[in-house]
Amino acid sequence: MEEPRIGVYICWCGTNIAKMVDVEYIAEEVKKLQNVVVSRNYKYMCSDPGQDLIIKDIKENNLNRIVVSACSPRIHELTFRKALENAGLNSYLFEMANIREHVSWVHTDRKEATEKAKSLVMAAIKRVGFHESLAKRSVEINPASLIIGGGIAGLTAALEIADTGKQVYLIEKKNSLGGNLAFVDLSFPDLSSVKQILDPKIEKINKHPNIKVFLNTEIDEIFGYVGNFETKLFENTKSEETLKFGNIIVATGLKPFDPSVIPEYAYGKLPDVITSIEFEKMLKEGIIRTKAGKEPKNIGIIHCVGSRNNKYNEYCSRTCCATGLKYANQLRDALPEAGIYELYGDMRVFGKGCEEFYTQTSRKDIVFMMFDQRNDLPKIKANTSKKDFNMIIEINEKLSGEELNIPVDMVVLMVGAQAQDNAKDISHAVGISMCGNAFYIERHPKLDPVATTTDGVYIVGSCQGPKGIIDSVSQTRAAVSRILGTIAKGSVQVEVTTAVVNEDVCCGCQTCISVCPYTAISFNPEKNISVVNEVLCKGCGTCGSACPTGAIRSRHFTDLQILSQIEGIMSLELEEV
Amino acid sequence: MKNELKIFKNNGEQKMRQTVNTKFKQELKEFGVGNWNACFNCGNCTAICGLTENGFLFPRKSIQSIQMGLKENLEKSVDPWLCYYCGECSDTCPRDANPGELMMSLRRYLTSTYDWTGLSKKFYTSKFWEIGFIAFFGAAIIAAFLIFLPPSQRVYSNPEAFVNDQGGVMINSMVDGISSTQFIKIIEYGDWTMAIIVALLLISNIFRMFYKVILKDKSIHIPFFAYFTEFFQLIYNFLTQARFSKCEKKSYWVGHLLLMTGYTIMFMVIVVLLPEFQIEEVKPWYHWQRILGYYATFGILYFLIIAAIERLRKSDIKFKFSHESDWLFIIMLGLTTITGILINIFRLAGMPVLTYYMFVLHLAILVPMIIVEVPFSKWSHLAYRPFAIYFAKLKKASYAQQAIKSQLLTT
Amino acid sequence: MSFEPKIVSFLCNWCSYTGADLAGTSRMKYAANIRIIRVMCSGRVDPTFVLKAFREGADGVLICGCHPGDCHYHEGNYKCLRRYKLLTKYIKQMGIDDKRLRLEWISASEGKQFAELANEMAETLRNLGPANIKDKLDFFQKTKSVNEDENVEKEKMEAI
Repeated sequence: MEEPRIGVYICWCGTNIAKMVDVEYIAEEVKKLQNVVVSRNYKYMCSDPGQDLIIKDIKENNLNRIVVSACSPRIHELTFRKALENAGLNSYLFEMANIREHVSWVHTDRKEATEKAKSLVMAAIKRVGFHESLAKRSVEINPASLIIGGGIAGLTAALEIADTGKQVYLIEKKNSLGGNLAFVDLSFPDLSSVKQILDPKIEKINKHPNIKVFLNTEIDEIFGYVGNFETKLFENTKSEETLKFGNIIVATGLKPFDPSVIPEYAYGKLPDVITSIEFEKMLKEGIIRTKAGKEPKNIGIIHCVGSRNNKYNEYCSRTCCATGLKYANQLRDALPEAGIYELYGDMRVFGKGCEEFYTQTSRKDIVFMMFDQRNDLPKIKANTSKKDFNMIIEINEKLSGEELNIPVDMVVLMVGAQAQDNAKDISHAVGISMCGNAFYIERHPKLDPVATTTDGVYIVGSCQGPKGIIDSVSQTRAAVSRILGTIAKGSVQVEVTTAVVNEDVCCGCQTCISVCPYTAISFNPEKNISVVNEVLCKGCGTCGSACPTGAIRSRHFTDLQILSQIEGIMSLELEEV
Repeated sequence: MKNELKIFKNNGEQKMRQTVNTKFKQELKEFGVGNWNACFNCGNCTAICGLTENGFLFPRKSIQSIQMGLKENLEKSVDPWLCYYCGECSDTCPRDANPGELMMSLRRYLTSTYDWTGLSKKFYTSKFWEIGFIAFFGAAIIAAFLIFLPPSQRVYSNPEAFVNDQGGVMINSMVDGISSTQFIKIIEYGDWTMAIIVALLLISNIFRMFYKVILKDKSIHIPFFAYFTEFFQLIYNFLTQARFSKCEKKSYWVGHLLLMTGYTIMFMVIVVLLPEFQIEEVKPWYHWQRILGYYATFGILYFLIIAAIERLRKSDIKFKFSHESDWLFIIMLGLTTITGILINIFRLAGMPVLTYYMFVLHLAILVPMIIVEVPFSKWSHLAYRPFAIYFAKLKKASYAQQAIKSQLLTT
Repeated sequence: MSFEPKIVSFLCNWCSYTGADLAGTSRMKYAANIRIIRVMCSGRVDPTFVLKAFREGADGVLICGCHPGDCHYHEGNYKCLRRYKLLTKYIKQMGIDDKRLRLEWISASEGKQFAELANEMAETLRNLGPANIKDKLDFFQKTKSVNEDENVEKEKMEAI
């Protein structure tokens, strides 16, 4: 192996790193290390001048290994690998030390932080010396796409892709398309009809030559990798069909929160306490009546039901505030004399046209009362005394400090959004991760918000987190443009950090075969060795750590690389260098 | 500060759960402008106000109570009376909710709740009732004069007989068979009757106010000595309206003080000092009764002219929204003043006929105005305001005592 | 100065490393004792890595993976769990306190939990004191090389 000539670059990240870590000191210190040819520090390594610095050094100083010490490799590893490629160096001859997320942002003592950062840089330097050039593999892209979920996001995606002439398979678990939106009457903030948005789309999809719709169908397991996925479908658990496709859009949407678990709201016990879903049905029919068939004189609308409360869901469901205001508007039109009470924790109507919508609504003689969403929910009780109203809402009004009883005939609970019950099954089927609330996690919240950690799988709409129509559609279109981009390219480069068997060392014990989750390893009885199928291998490295003889190398995570990294990490404190 | 916070906490504990009155806003709409919907409770109005203090956080608290339909809260509140409507809050309001005018509407509403006869509400909410009542009363007075105290026929045939050697009309001697002393006695009795009726109505209403504001509010316990120690506040504020001077726009206070002293003097002069005032002899210009008369006339006229011009021009937000009761007040007071001045002119010019009829007209405007305005309408604030300040001081004394108690409990 | 332990930590790329990144982006503060090494899956953590870390002077080793059932590679974390159980027994026999080796599940959204874990482990190790494994082994090696001939070593190797 050639002698490593290492270039080390310490990033300031403006003040993000530099204010907690002495970057100049580290750059000076690591210069003393063997094989380190260049060591620099720079304000923003990820910027174009920063990358040019690396490229110039590689060419001028004949560098063959690069270490960048900056933010998380999950953010900029690919950026710098590109820079290496541009300089004519194999992109795997690169290692990153994370001294922002793991050092400067989490520690408070500059001396300690600098020492830790230095040890991480040293570990990266030690490791990079053992890096090898790896060739990337090119994969053909199947132009067909699979879309899971027939809500507004799934429908939009299906049409967008199919209109470019590509095949789309649209899978819906229910017996009709439209998702949650199919139950909605008007949309906020313009109070336009949802039917007008949804119906033309569904009609077009049903007639579209490039879209095949599967109703009453659920996904079981998807095999393959980006560009070449495959699944078997069981429609109505009867007919079986094998589909092949190159990309997947997960648009499984949300499930409304069930308010019967909140004792204060007596949902299910009092007949005129209804959910926003049930109220939407009333609005669609155009008749607003109590269970006894009377026109309600006073109506309470309770916000944040099941949202933003540690007992239920801690997150904000994002659409209920504006929907609550929409109800106030619709009620004001339908019942001009009625008392309308909006009981809210915080009014969060953000986005284009929404603040204006709130202002307009607030001028329509609607009473806004605030309660403590976390510790003091209002209580709904049946009215037992006088007969001119059904129920009483007991509220401790937060802005005025008043303890009040509101006489009402009907209460609408603005139920929040939850991940679907089968979110976990889908996440396993397509190989994506869920956050603590069972919503799916994007690759990066800001830099890559529609892709996932599995290449070729995209998440759109409320399965990624609660969203309104506008956000869902924008996210869907973003995902579609990504997919169409890869289809247009025809092929995609995939990582080759797979496992490889050293035939001379393998003893044929087949331990690796038993631990491989992808059945990517097979046994060659003639040679009495294990063989890795590189197409199926995803590079988890489980076989590598199970192999008793050390015959399996997990590329880019070899024993040698990690052991030297450990040495590097520990070397600072012992002052061996 | 800590103590004050504690007070409110204590109040909260003692408060009964209040039921929202869903029809209250509809009721309130009849008393003036009602754009409380515009308010989103930012509190800028209270922040800018120079008069508000802890425990009396108006206009924000009052508007909040309106929005939520807390009728009980408003009825026991003195806050609207503590506001003098400088208009700063309305200028500052980011949503053009016009809190100042809402406070004004609340004062009208509260006046009607204190009044047990129900006439106040009728006058405020119905033009027909208010103007009809005034017209009827005025006509009754004119009729009474023409029937029981008609001018002598000689006034027309021989007017010189009613002019004294100073050239002034002998105003008390124009009715046949009734001497000058008898005439002034009749007028004086009439004045006193009016004053007593008005006073009885007003006092009974003030007592109702006291009941609603102090006795009915179970959250407070007024220390007994406070009733006496704070009493001077009532007198002091009645006479000086010192609170008004704390407002940003001082000119309004000056104008209001001129008006108030003017009509108070005039009222004293025509009721208590009538025999000294309405005399046949023309006193020299520097005599006290003429000086007082000129001062009162100037004070009232100054205010009226300014008020009428500003309301017409709508220069300040304070003047943008005039309720009909505001205009009626200006018109009635203006007519009273003009007829008063005309009496004086005709009298000094030695014109007995015109003097007599102007005198009758003057009374026909003045008396209904006082009977409608003082106990039932806009003028009642001359009593409610100082009393409200007095009651506010009593409430504060109660809060302070509670704070001491709770401090003793906690330490 | 009080004793500050050194902790070597192996974090899986998909859940735990992302979780630690989240602790950073959320600016949660934790003790600086922990040094993170990224692996693709907790299943990649070879027992050799753990022993190597102790050998090189670590006072504690922390392995973090996805929660059971959430593994990006389906079941790598279960494999890790099994190895961890055996490894705990093994290091005990070697005279290393089993509190020095921990396996915890940290998901990509558990930045807070990661920060708390880092603090908690640092505190535990502070109370345990230094592991001194490297010093002992270095001393042992020195005495060995004095007493034994290199040839003896070679013979042994050949025998094996």
